[in-house]
Amino acid sequence: MAAVAVVTPTRMELLKLKQRVSLAQKGHDLLREKMDALVIEFFEVLRRIGEARTGALKQLSLAHRTLSVCSAIMGTIETRQASMEAKRELEVEISTRHVMGVVVPTLEVDKVERNALARGYSLHTTSSVLDEASKEFEKALGLLVKLAELEGSAHAIARELERTKRRVNALEYILIPQLKAALKFIEMRLDEMERENFSRLKRIKAMLEAGA
Amino acid sequence: MGYKVAVIGDADTATGFALAGASYTYVHAGKDRTLAKLAKFMTSEEIGLVFITHPIAEELGAEFRRMMRTKKLLPVVLRIPDKTGYAPKVDELYELIKRTVGAEIVVRAEGG
Repeated sequence: MAAVAVVTPTRMELLKLKQRVSLAQKGHDLLREKMDALVIEFFEVLRRIGEARTGALKQLSLAHRTLSVCSAIMGTIETRQASMEAKRELEVEISTRHVMGVVVPTLEVDKVERNALARGYSLHTTSSVLDEASKEFEKALGLLVKLAELEGSAHAIARELERTKRRVNALEYILIPQLKAALKFIEMRLDEMERENFSRLKRIKAMLEAGA
Repeated sequence: MGYKVAVIGDADTATGFALAGASYTYVHAGKDRTLAKLAKFMTSEEIGLVFITHPIAEELGAEFRRMMRTKKLLPVVLRIPDKTGYAPKVDELYELIKRTVGAEIVVRAEGG
């Protein structure tokens, strides 16, 4: 490996490498734990999405049906006109929450459902089916806001999960093996030097004894 | 802090959400113009939530996906079915699971 070639086989370097390996291992373990926790969180969110989605989509299709009825009774143009007259000031409270160091959005909306007077279109030119349609859409919107929060969280967590996974893998399959290889190289080299020294001493001793 | 809601969809979706109080509705008319509008929604400070219908999201294609990948935390973008109830065959959530967990896992709602 390339990294092996550049290390100098000294005892100092060996100590340093040993420290780096233990640090890398510690980091690896921590990231692993973080990944596990994120996966648990991710599936919890997915389960809740599953529940929320069914309800929200059902309500949305119901809303579309009532709107179709409204268009049929009042006329499409009139319905659209009423929608333009409607007060469109819905505000969603958005704040952020931390899940395992991941920032996820929380969306909250109060008073999605308004009464017919608060909606802003004129009452005497519109039919009651319009009120009905508006009500259904308001309900659907409320549910969709919750769903949006969950999906937003899922995406944020997934992104973090991916990043963590990449780091875990980089440590596990590249950095740690590389360091270990370097460690082994130095150990071998030091052992080899020891043996060389030993045989050199033996040889000198033999020479000295022969000369004496 | 209060954020406004934007909707990109067909005429009926836009009408419905306008009745429900969504502040911005945009009726899809051509890919380029919708993309420009979406980009404007994405960079707007006051919009916190964007709904876009599945068929339109699909029509916008790669450009839309790129925007979703690079977007900040806000606004949250949610794809919704339009009045035909159309939803894409490949659920993006399952794609997400496949990519992150590396295995295909089907998550169902309780009793579903």
